[in-house]
Amino acid sequence: MRLRRVLIANRGEIAVRIVRTCRRLGIETVLAVSAADRDALPARLADRTVPIGPADPAASYLDVDAVVGAALATGADAVHPGYGFLAENPLLAAACAAAGVVFVGPTETQLAAAGDKLAARRHAVAAGLPVLPGGEAGDVPAALRLAGEIGWPVLVKAAGGGGGRGMKKVTDQDELAGALGLAMAEAGAAFGDHRVYLERYVTSGRHVEVQIVGDGERVIHLGERDCSIQRRYQKLVEEAPAPRLGTAVRAGLHAAAVALGEHLKYRGLGTVEFLVDGDAFYFLELNARIQVEHPVTEAIYGIDLVAEQFAIAEGRPLRPALAALAAAAPSGHAIECRINAEDWTRDFRPGPGTVTRAAFPAGDGIRVDTHVQAGTRIPPQYDSLLAKLVVHGADRAEALARLRAALARCVIGGVPTTVPMHAALARDPEFAAGGVDTAWFPRFLDRALGHALDGALGHALDRAPDRALDRAPDGNGSGGGRG
Amino acid sequence: MADIELLDVSIRDGNQSLWGATGMTTAQILRIAPVMDRVGFRALDFTSSTHMGVAVRTHRENPWERIRLTRAATPNTPLQFIGTGFRFISWETVHPELMRLAYERLVAAGMSRFVVLDPMHDMDAVRASARTLRGAGAEEIIAALTFTISDVHDDAYYAGLAAQMAACPHIDRVYIKDPAGLLSPERARTLIPAVRARLAGTPLELHAHCTIGLSPLTYMAAAELGVEVLQVACGPLANGTSLPNAQRVAANLRELGHTVDVDDRLLALVADYFSRLAAAESLPAGAPAEYDAAFLRHQVAGGVMTTLRRQLGELGLADRFDEVIDEVVRVRAELGFPIMVTPFPQIVCSQAFNNVIGAERYGNVPDQVIRYVLGRFGRPTAPVDPDVRDRILSRSRAAELAAEPPPLPPDELRKRFSPGIPDEELLLRATMPADQVDAMLAAGPARRHYNPDVKAILDLLRELRTRPAVQDIVVDKPGFRLSLRSAEAGGA
Repeated sequence: MRLRRVLIANRGEIAVRIVRTCRRLGIETVLAVSAADRDALPARLADRTVPIGPADPAASYLDVDAVVGAALATGADAVHPGYGFLAENPLLAAACAAAGVVFVGPTETQLAAAGDKLAARRHAVAAGLPVLPGGEAGDVPAALRLAGEIGWPVLVKAAGGGGGRGMKKVTDQDELAGALGLAMAEAGAAFGDHRVYLERYVTSGRHVEVQIVGDGERVIHLGERDCSIQRRYQKLVEEAPAPRLGTAVRAGLHAAAVALGEHLKYRGLGTVEFLVDGDAFYFLELNARIQVEHPVTEAIYGIDLVAEQFAIAEGRPLRPALAALAAAAPSGHAIECRINAEDWTRDFRPGPGTVTRAAFPAGDGIRVDTHVQAGTRIPPQYDSLLAKLVVHGADRAEALARLRAALARCVIGGVPTTVPMHAALARDPEFAAGGVDTAWFPRFLDRALGHALDGALGHALDRAPDRALDRAPDGNGSGGGRG
Repeated sequence: MADIELLDVSIRDGNQSLWGATGMTTAQILRIAPVMDRVGFRALDFTSSTHMGVAVRTHRENPWERIRLTRAATPNTPLQFIGTGFRFISWETVHPELMRLAYERLVAAGMSRFVVLDPMHDMDAVRASARTLRGAGAEEIIAALTFTISDVHDDAYYAGLAAQMAACPHIDRVYIKDPAGLLSPERARTLIPAVRARLAGTPLELHAHCTIGLSPLTYMAAAELGVEVLQVACGPLANGTSLPNAQRVAANLRELGHTVDVDDRLLALVADYFSRLAAAESLPAGAPAEYDAAFLRHQVAGGVMTTLRRQLGELGLADRFDEVIDEVVRVRAELGFPIMVTPFPQIVCSQAFNNVIGAERYGNVPDQVIRYVLGRFGRPTAPVDPDVRDRILSRSRAAELAAEPPPLPPDELRKRFSPGIPDEELLLRATMPADQVDAMLAAGPARRHYNPDVKAILDLLRELRTRPAVQDIVVDKPGFRLSLRSAEAGGA
């Protein structure tokens, strides 16, 4: 079959990203919009829009009936859920199937298997993947027994979903009962599922994930991404390939990810997340969607992963050329920075508002995925991602050099942004050396904030954008920005 | 009423007929290829060895890379290669082993559908080419019945060829190829049933140029007569000396009650893209052609006719044009009615020109005419007039050309270059001047992005880069003023 019209059930930069591929392929786009997004950039880029409810995501982007109803009302052949919202909700996949609309993503069963972290863990074990010692913690006595076997400290995790919600580190048995109750309450609120489980807490490790693509029969990998730069389990910077990773570990990660995909007869794009500790690695979870950080993989393989999603949704087998890429070495190195509307000096406090000025860099090896331009409103109801700056170079040193130059040319006014933080990070010698673990970023942050508060670094960081603002032709940004 | 499929020829034949084959770069193709892939075309007529040569010579782009990139962008639609089976890029006849190597590399790069075309309808050559192609891995092989009007090319003649094609195990489909657009609806009503009666179920396609405006009507007759695929072009690459317009053909077929499963919205996007490209690159758009009764007699295509008129004018002999055209008709008969498809119009016209301006007929004979009579282009459909044949072969030059060394096989050619030369480069070096291949390699990978809408502004910026003395640029139009000043000139 050929998809002719696709409903995009998402917003922000990923909606723009999906529209772009649809345009290239000649697929007509219908964008589902909440009341807050009717005039946003994605709505103006799509061929048409369809309202699905108020700004509150629970009554719009998270409403399965509203999304499927919008697809049927506009005659869409398929629904692309993007990431977040309903992307990994088996109910949307099921409702699409019932309505005769193609769901661009894995099967309902696979979504259920990936979404239940305990089920995913069981599948990983069955596929022969190493997992951290752990298991389900039904009540406090059981959890205490299990923690005793695992050894302290342990991590309490929610079975119903990821993203750091419901996750607690527990160092001894006195803390366990309290942490368990808190985690269960948090998990229940976030995912409607109170179940939690324990895993051994690994003090130092790297977060490395492998991109897999399957057509339901065959599964291949498209290399790995290092996402160790995190704050409270939220990724801030991602890169591909993972720097300073041993050949055997890298090959082992790829093989393990493909083994899990094959075990599930996986269909669509998936990401298998691992914790890498020296030469050892452990399965963390399977994300059954396109990831925010997919552009770094696209950069080093020269592919369009959204187009591959559509090809698989149309029922086509994996392209031989794509499979050939998995066997070949990727080209160069890519780094992505998530630019958020947050004040990094005030505990990353979100700063919704109206963007008064937006100028992004362009040029060889630079890609910016964004939904932001002068006048864009950043509503408080949604996440604060403004743009993803992705650089690609022949090697990591060139990518880093491009990143520094590109960040210096990012000008976003009207809302606080994390651009200065990324600029400091890109200049950091330890980050430049590559291969830092997940414990590194908080240390960097303390150091950088110390400098920033001293004023010297803060001044230096803000100078580049200021100069650019000074050179701008007029004061209010009208006229030129729309040309 | 029938289900009719469309095959698009815009990139290869449309480009060749209207834009001299030089109209399209890799980036220009890649921009629209994913959309063309989703229209629902039976296949895309994509390249020929001539086009591959143009990519190297004119655009300094690697034609093999172009095939691979386009293949990746068109997973749903087969890409077609058209060739004669005895030459590759250059006009010289090549060794059969070199042809086999070329076919193998074309299949590996992503070509899956191949036209077997022998302009003389030499069925032994057709069968041999089809066998070689199958051996090289070609998925679909389609043989050409090249249509012309002559004393020997009657319905029975084409029916006999069709029977032989149907009997060949390596020929999957057959098409009537009408390069000069001579097939009228009336003739189609006798020719197509005669051919189909002998095809034993082998699918039949039609490819007819619009040269004198007949083919859009002939296509409607063909749909009723059991032709399954009609070959078309999009937007400005249709009409003129190219093929009928895809949107018009689809609309007309539906008007007559046939079904055509193509996506009209995408078809419009493709046509619009080619229109914007034509405007940005100052390329002409094909227009519906007027009927020209005299064309049926001489069959000399517009491009060759223009060249002939210019040559006569330069010699101050413009008044003898009609005389040359009459001579074309006579020479074509004497040479055994070659079909007026490249390279034969050039061969026939050059001899006719010499016959008219020279002291006596066949007093001066170009090398290509001698090679033709020697059989270098295959076996003529009808025998060459014996007197003319003797006259030509008795020349001393004929003996020299007859003694030309046979073409070298790939292993021998490889020795002339570096021993480790990749097959794709060998095929280019063996058939093209070294400096052209060197220039292509030196240029590096082809650009992959093209947008006709920003062509003008990019040209402006490139020009400005070559003029460092320019310090101020002002673009002024109603409601818009852009003023740029060089920082070195003192800043704002």
